[in-house]
Amino acid sequence: MSDDDRVEEFKQYVRGGGTIEPTDWMPDEYRQRLLRFVEMHANSEIMGALPERDWILRAPSLKRKLVLTAKIQDEVGHAQLLYRIAEDLGKPREQMFDDLVNGRTKFHNVFHYPTKTWADAGVIGWLVDAAAILSQSALLRTSYGPYARTMKRVCWEEAFHLKQGEDICLTLAGGSELQRSMLQEAINRWWEPLMMFHGPPTPPETDADLAWRIKTKPNDELRQEFLDRYVPQIREMGLTVPDPIVQKDPAAGRWAYSEPDWSKLYAVVSGSGPASAQRLGFRRLSYEEGAWVRNALTGRSLAAA
Amino acid sequence: MRVYEVFCQEAPGGQHIHAGNVLAPDIELACQYARNSFARRGEARRLWVVPRDAIREVADPDLLDPPGDHRYRMGRYFRAAVEKRKRLRAKYAKGPVA
Ligand SMILES: [Fe+2]
Ligand SMILES: [Fe+2]
Repeated sequence: MSDDDRVEEFKQYVRGGGTIEPTDWMPDEYRQRLLRFVEMHANSEIMGALPERDWILRAPSLKRKLVLTAKIQDEVGHAQLLYRIAEDLGKPREQMFDDLVNGRTKFHNVFHYPTKTWADAGVIGWLVDAAAILSQSALLRTSYGPYARTMKRVCWEEAFHLKQGEDICLTLAGGSELQRSMLQEAINRWWEPLMMFHGPPTPPETDADLAWRIKTKPNDELRQEFLDRYVPQIREMGLTVPDPIVQKDPAAGRWAYSEPDWSKLYAVVSGSGPASAQRLGFRRLSYEEGAWVRNALTGRSLAAA
Repeated sequence: MRVYEVFCQEAPGGQHIHAGNVLAPDIELACQYARNSFARRGEARRLWVVPRDAIREVADPDLLDPPGDHRYRMGRYFRAAVEKRKRLRAKYAKGPVA
């Protein structure tokens, strides 16, 4: 069989629902795309711990502090699982960390923004995690076996993240006028990043990650699912979404929304988001400050580091 | 002779689940025995055969289930959210109150 035939056969296999294990042969393009995808997912989990970390000490009760700490611990745990998958695909962890802190690889747009009030912690837990759950649930059917199995555990834990965030938002929504306006302002702030979260509406037939069944749902379909589930939930709380054209066309079954400026998304994930530099700086600092621990554990001398 | 633990993946993409173990003089024969014991009917997609002494069992409750109430790590802990949503839904059924 020629190489081209072999690649074609592989493509047909994964498109037909076939699963690939780490010890299976895979085309270079598949391995590269999969690695890039999983690495960005891993980066997003570990960078995603930072915006909420700022709120552990400021959370309004001991219970909220415990819950938020548990959620953040989960997110770092997700990063650990995902970095393991990426390592098995051939990239050493130190290289991945080095690329991340030096801005050579990316992480999700939503983690490039600052958090202003406690309501942001609620909106992140509820709506950002909701958007992430939709992507991650679709990944339960990815063609790469270890990734799909990891998503089972991750999605199970994410359900708690969403609930705790929703509970924060519902508490604020049922509170004073000040609390309600704090929540409304947080929703307004996060709406644009949320509408960008699933990426530009790339036609499914030109999306190579779909062609290799690394992901299984087109970007715009995920965004439609998000709107379908969460716009009604926001509105029944007596709140609004800051986009006047958001509504469902009952005939088409699709939601209208204002097209985000996709060049802005690209700029944000490339490191020009309002909090990009600060977050990467913090990650770099903790990476450098933790070097002695890594060296001690691996028995390397500091001189050799 | 050495004991080898055998893990079997039955469905494509599924987890490798512990099937049992075999006693064998080396890894090659252990794989044959594993096949003969646990995959005679084509039920296995893949087998993992691991020397038992490479496995460490962890069953310490202080580690696995430490004292303290960790129910808040489960989504169902937030049952009160259902009531909170109901109240808001009733209050704002006619749109936001000005
Ligand atoms: Fe996560
Ligand atoms: Fe999460």
